[in-house]
Order: sequence, then structure tokens, then C-alpha cells
Amino acid sequence: MALEHDNHGMELAGNAAHAGHGHHGPAVLPSVLTAPEVVKTWRLRALVVAVVFAAISALFLLTEDGRTHLLRAYLAGYMTCFNFVGGSLALLMVQYVSGGKWGLILRRPLEAMTRTFPLILVGILPILFLMKKLYLWAAYTTKAETLDAYHKGLITNEQHLDIDYRHVMLAPTPVIVQTVLVFGFISFMIWLLNRWSLKRDQDEAAGTLGSFDKWRVRFENVSGPAIVFYVIALTDFVIIFVKSLDIIWASSVYGLQFLVAQGYGTLAVGILTLILLSRYEPMKSLFRTTEQHDLGKLMFAFTMLNIYLTFAEFLIIWSGNIPDEITYYIHRIQGGWWTICTLDVICHWVIPFSILLSRDIKRSKNKMIWVATFMIGARMIDIFWLIEPAWNKTGDTLHLIGNYGILAYITVPVAMIALWAAYYLTQLSKRPLLNVNDPHTAELLEPEHAH
Amino acid sequence: MPPREGVYGLLAEFNTPSELVHATEHAHRAGYRRMECYTPYPVEEAAEALRFHKTRIPLMCLMGGIMGLTTGFLLEMWINVWGYPLNIRGTPLFSWAAFVIPEYELTILFAGLSTAFGMIAQNGLPQLYHPLFNAPNFANGALNDKFFLCLEANDPRFSVTETRTFLEQFSPVSVVEVDH
Repeated sequence: MALEHDNHGMELAGNAAHAGHGHHGPAVLPSVLTAPEVVKTWRLRALVVAVVFAAISALFLLTEDGRTHLLRAYLAGYMTCFNFVGGSLALLMVQYVSGGKWGLILRRPLEAMTRTFPLILVGILPILFLMKKLYLWAAYTTKAETLDAYHKGLITNEQHLDIDYRHVMLAPTPVIVQTVLVFGFISFMIWLLNRWSLKRDQDEAAGTLGSFDKWRVRFENVSGPAIVFYVIALTDFVIIFVKSLDIIWASSVYGLQFLVAQGYGTLAVGILTLILLSRYEPMKSLFRTTEQHDLGKLMFAFTMLNIYLTFAEFLIIWSGNIPDEITYYIHRIQGGWWTICTLDVICHWVIPFSILLSRDIKRSKNKMIWVATFMIGARMIDIFWLIEPAWNKTGDTLHLIGNYGILAYITVPVAMIALWAAYYLTQLSKRPLLNVNDPHTAELLEPEHAH
Repeated sequence: MPPREGVYGLLAEFNTPSELVHATEHAHRAGYRRMECYTPYPVEEAAEALRFHKTRIPLMCLMGGIMGLTTGFLLEMWINVWGYPLNIRGTPLFSWAAFVIPEYELTILFAGLSTAFGMIAQNGLPQLYHPLFNAPNFANGALNDKFFLCLEANDPRFSVTETRTFLEQFSPVSVVEVDH
């Protein structure tokens, strides 16, 4: 029995305990860190789904009602994908500022998600070209036009006055300028963080304390202020493209609500990616239950924060009961929309919240695959509830007969998410799955404790 | 309750945490369940070897939370609908949306308190007497640099002679019989 009796020191306790415990000590860093070949199969499957659903979506082009819903559903799908990209950038910056092993293991998947930004960049074009069909502020761009529309009974007096008032921000030219600024900032940050991440690994002094500190400070200094700018940019972007579907209503928590939804969706995609990758090397040796548990806890926090903001917004507006504000909720609650509203609360919050309370489920790989997938699906219900009721002026827009176009909200977002996923997987294969020049790398290889 | 008498357990003293963990692991494998490790600082591996992690604390937290939620709901219901019905800007007396905040606060309060007190109760605290302090080497060692494993007498597998032999195979500094 090889036990050391002369080992009195507490400082040796950690390692000594491992040795005596039958643990094997630190694992060895896998020699190949690139994504496994199976990612190509996943990508092919995603592409097949994208093509099939795009083909089904194309059928909606045949009818007038289908075409209208197709554009709105496109906006829903676009915002879902934008949330993945924006959320990954935000989370990437947050993990640079906060540090932690969960951040290191998730870093490369997050970077891959940010590098799908070209899709978002191209995807905005249909919305910009067809903005007249979506937004009142784009349909009536001058005071004369809004007045005319009001006289013809196309818009209410309230809408007419609000459009005039908001034209400084909400009109085609200012919107394009703001979009360019927001996208310029986001793409610069994505470019910089991705570039530095590669350089960090190629650093000649890699593995030394000096190199660790140099890069940590550099990433921190950029990410900190950029998080603030990002939140401002995001708020502006979602006000323009989602909130302004309802020209009268305003809410100061709107941007934050999207920010939290981004964290929610991005973590679901991130956890799903890591768990699926952990069936193969190199993630098999790198992704420990401890980090999965940590990520699960973070996702749980976002689930809670999401309902917190959404409900707080509702409660304040419900208490105020002002015609300008409460109509937004009346359109989203009355008529058949009560079903969707309830479904949103149940699927987006109650179910993930109750499930993620459990420690065992957060630590189970198989179960978390389903939870994460379910949460991505719940994002689609949420965005549907935010977007489509903007056209619910009569209270009965939620029905199928004679309104088959509404099914586009299923097919179009699925096609877009699948296309996005294929692009994401392509990007994921391009780099090693772990940022090696980081002090946490060694810690990821240590054996786990049961917590 | 009559005073307990007889042997509380056998206390083995080790110099290093690795020996402690090793012995604990083997004791678990040998079928001992009523046992406890005493260390001067937290040794996670020891907790792991004891299979300590399944506790009733999460359940207590959940039950407390549900109780808080129910209390908050009933409190708000009673106040607004029966106790002191007030017409607040024309909304129905039963306006569940307005009840959510107190319900939420009471859920957290009850969950937090039941977790804290549940933990204290599960640890058997407050406890003014513990037989282990009858062992002469325990009080000083467990606070400084010694690592103890106590196999308790109320374990079905416990036997003063066999358990002592079992513990001695791990070459402890000492094995002390502790009385109640």
C-alpha cells in the first residue's frame, strides 16, 4: 500500500487526496483539438432541413395572405438568428470580463456563432427593401403622407401623430444609418475578438504567466466598454425592427428583454453543441460535468431573468392602464392570443424553470440535450407572440381557416435556424475547439470533484 | 431520553487526507454506512467518498418555496377579496397579477429560511455534547492537522474487534474506542 506517512503538509492535500482515492490525476490535453468529422454530417442534416422547410415556405408565395405572413415570419426567423449571433457576442465579452472555466469551454462555440454574422448582414436586406410592407413609419414617410393616410382612415389619429413625432428616428434614411452603425460596431467587435483569439494561441510566450496576463487584460479592456455599447446598439436595433411594428407603444425595458432572450437562446445552443460534441474527442476529455452544471445554472438564471423582465413590464403597464400602453397587451392577450400568451409563459418559462431546478438534470447529458432543444423551440413561440399580434387590430387574427399564411411562422423560422446552424457548424470546424493559451486549460483537465 | 451508554464508535486518526479518503472509500466498499470524516478544512474527496451529496436540503428548499408561494397567494387573496376589499382604479378584487410580487418575495423568504434552518437541523445542531470529544486526541487534532474517520457503533456491520482490525490495515496513527 503506497501511502505516504511523511506527508503532513496541507498544501499537498489536494493532489495527495487524488492519488489515494484512485483518481488518475490530470487528463492529457488531446493532441487533435479540431471538431470531429461528425460535424459535417450534422451540417448536412441541417442543410436538408433548411431546404425542405424553405421549399414548404415557398408555397406561401402563392397567396396574397401567404405573402404577407411570409415577410412577418421572415422577420421572426431573422430576429431568432440575430439573437443567437448577438447573444454569442455579448456572452463572449461577458466571459472575457468575468473569467471562469465555463467561459473557456464555451469560447470557441461562441466565436463560431459570432462568425455567422455575414448571414445576419445579408439577411437584413429583404427587410430593408420591403420595409414599407412591415412598418407604418416606412409606409408613410412625410407629414403630408401620414395626414393623408389618416384622412383616408388607414391609420388612427394617435398613429398619425406618433409617426410624425418619431420620424427623426424611424424613417427609411435614419433607420439605414442606424443599422449601418449598429452592424458596423458588431462586426468590428466580432472581427477583433476572433482575430485576437487566434493570435493568443499563436503567442510566442504562450503558456507563461506573462502571456496569460497580457491577453486577459487586453480582452478585458476591450470587452468591458464594448458590453455597454452593445446593449445600447441592441436596444436601438430591436426598437427599430421589432418594437416599431407597434408605432404607439413604448417600453424602456424592451432592449434588455431581448438581451436576456439572447443569453437564453445562445446558452441553449452552446450547451447543446458542447454536449453533442462531448461524445467525440477532443470534447470528450475536455467537457466535464462541472462545467455543464455551471452552464446549466447560468441558463437557469436567464430563464428567471427573462420572466422577471417580461412580467415586470406587463405589471407596470397593467397597473398604469393607459390606453397608449395597455393596447399592446390587449392585442397580445385577447381573442385566441390568450392561448399563445399562456403557451409562451408555460414553454418559455414554467417548463424550463421547473426542469432546471433539478441538479441531477443539469448534470445529465442526455436530459440537457432535450431541455436545450426545447428552449430553442420556446424562443420561436416567444418571438411569434411578440411580432404577429402587432397586426391584431380586430382581436381575431389567430385562426387557421382562411388564414393559412400564419403557418409560415413555423416553416420560415425553422428553415432560417437550420440554415444558420449549418453555417455555424461550418465555422465551428474551422478552429480548434479550445483556446489553449489560457490558465483555465490546465484546470479543465483536472479530475472532477463531486459537488 | 435515557442517557446513552456504551461505545459510540471507533475513531481512526490519519496524518494525511489521502489516507483518510483511502480508508473511507474502503470502508464504504466494505459496507459501512454510518460513518463520518472529521478534517481541519474541507476535503471534497472525503465528502465524495462518504457519498455525502444526496441530502434532503433541496427538497426542504422546494417545500419552503411552495409554502411561501401558497402563503403569499392566500394572504393576498384574503386581504384583497375578503379582509379589506378596496376598489383600486376599477380592477377586479381578485387581480392575480398584482399578487405576484408578494408571492414571489414570500417564496424566496420561505425557501431561504427553510434551507438555512433545514441545513442546521440536518446537521443535528444545536448540539451541546458530542461523544467524539471524549477521545483525547480529537479536539486538538481535528482543528489542526489530523484527519479522522469514525465508524459508528450503530452501523449494522460494526463490531468492536473486527472493525478495529479493519481500520488498522490502513496504518492509522491510532484507533481509539470512543464512549458515549
